[in-house]
Amino acid sequence: MREKRTIIDVVWWVLLIAWSMAILFPLLWVFYQSLRSNPSFFQDVWALPESLNWMNYKNAWIKYGIGNAMLNTLYYVGVSLVLGTFLTTINAYALTRISFKGRKLMWALIMLSLFLPGINALIPQYVLMRELHLTNSLTGLILLDSLGENVFFLMLLGGFMRSLPKELEESGFLDGASIFQVFMRIIFPLSIPGIVTVAIFKFLGLYNNFLGPFIYLSDQSKYTIGVSMYAANQMMQYTSDWVTMFAGVMIAMVPSIIMFMFFQRWIMEGATLGAVKG
Amino acid sequence: MNRLSRAKRSPASGLWKDGLKNAKMQRNLFLLLALTPAFGGYLLFTLYPNMLSVYYSLLNWNGISEPEFVGLSNFVTLFQDKYVWRALLNNLFYMATVPIAVISISLLLGYLLANKGYKGTSFFKVLFFFPNVLSTIVIALLWTFIYDGSFGLLNDFLRLLGVPIGNFYWLGEARTALAAIVPPYVWGGVGLYVIIFMNAMTTIPKSLYESAILEGARHMTILFRITIPLIMPIVRISALFLILGTLKGFEKQLILTNGGPAGATDVVGLYIFNLAFGTENHNYGYASAVGMLLFVILVTAKLLMDKYMPDRSVEY
Repeated sequence: MREKRTIIDVVWWVLLIAWSMAILFPLLWVFYQSLRSNPSFFQDVWALPESLNWMNYKNAWIKYGIGNAMLNTLYYVGVSLVLGTFLTTINAYALTRISFKGRKLMWALIMLSLFLPGINALIPQYVLMRELHLTNSLTGLILLDSLGENVFFLMLLGGFMRSLPKELEESGFLDGASIFQVFMRIIFPLSIPGIVTVAIFKFLGLYNNFLGPFIYLSDQSKYTIGVSMYAANQMMQYTSDWVTMFAGVMIAMVPSIIMFMFFQRWIMEGATLGAVKG
Repeated sequence: MNRLSRAKRSPASGLWKDGLKNAKMQRNLFLLLALTPAFGGYLLFTLYPNMLSVYYSLLNWNGISEPEFVGLSNFVTLFQDKYVWRALLNNLFYMATVPIAVISISLLLGYLLANKGYKGTSFFKVLFFFPNVLSTIVIALLWTFIYDGSFGLLNDFLRLLGVPIGNFYWLGEARTALAAIVPPYVWGGVGLYVIIFMNAMTTIPKSLYESAILEGARHMTILFRITIPLIMPIVRISALFLILGTLKGFEKQLILTNGGPAGATDVVGLYIFNLAFGTENHNYGYASAVGMLLFVILVTAKLLMDKYMPDRSVEY
């Protein structure tokens, strides 16, 4: 749709730039301030830096225990991601491609989750986890977050698997393969594109999960990156160590940025998939 | 190959039956192993706690002492608790502001990107989406930096423009704190809807626009008369998501203000959370009762919207 550019286009263009600035400016501002020193930041926030204090990043890393928090996050996100994605995949297969007694009932029960607001379950869930001795434990959190069903992921993968021809499995069975082998050697590899989408969204959900770790982890040595940044910010009122805080927030952003850079297209396509299906 | 030929050569019907039985057993074993961990976890960690919360709402229990059954008295307290209604009013405020802001900004930006063919469209698309991948904690902390009274970005800007703002703490003053939480929600949410609306807009046949342009329609007319009506089903679902989201959501309030100052930004979700996990006395029973109220409100909101925002899909 090529048309003549008019004066109103300038207005539209300015609008697009304005929103871009609204997104970029706070991020760049924090990045810029993270390279300054506290005295010069307090004196004049707009001043150009005399030198770049990359030391702030090292200080943040040590002061907020980011190294340890990153390891905790890696353990929590990594194990939940692998376990959760595998379980979702095998469940999608069992629930869409194998017919068995009680399948409809299972689907109905899973669909019920769409009507349940998560907040009502928080308290009984906490009591249950306490009785199982799974509180204040990253492993407990992993079990809580990877053992479960998710309607959106099941539908996404189920839809994907339904498009695979039935003959694939049949020829596998004819060759004497067990159902386990059919799943691992035929269905799993062919579903990889769907599985990757699910895994990316699980990663974002787990890495960005704040409430779970915040409720369940009480030892500082077990904090994930989100909770340790929250704790660091709570300390800010006593320390006023701004530049280190800025550096810490920049570090916490790095995994998200890397994910977005590598899987940008996947993320943007997958995100709209969920919305259209409602 | 070897296996295949063996299977074909076994004529004995007993063996065949055995094989069938085996296959069935194998299938059942597979189903058991495949479904138990995830579905069991779902029953244990999702369905069971949700049902249990109904029972909890009838208790007086701080989580440690012996629970005491008190019947409906939590619900009686609930209707007299002015903090619940204050929180609910704040929810209504966010429900009225956040979805409207997000949808109107996304519609406009989406329309410009989908139809104007400006240079850098794909760059804008990616940039606009970026805040959606950031974690709540990062977004919330970013906005505490923006709103800080002494060194915040917003006040720096205002000072630069010569506004005598002093050290005004946007999140610390009751009259600004409530509204100050809207921008972080909008900032973090718009990108997703820009993409959703853009995708919907590109499915509209070009011929519809062309004839409108030939007849001299302006962009605003096209946007409101053609584009928005045609993508209305998607706008509707988006509105539903956003409204239910603002009713349920409380993480940003938790991190930015924890409901303060003096409850000015408290929302129902946060009220429940603090009753159960906050720093003051815990009351699991009462918190669950407020949770029931929120559940009823959510279901009502959904039903009302289904009724009064009918799915007017347009054929073309």
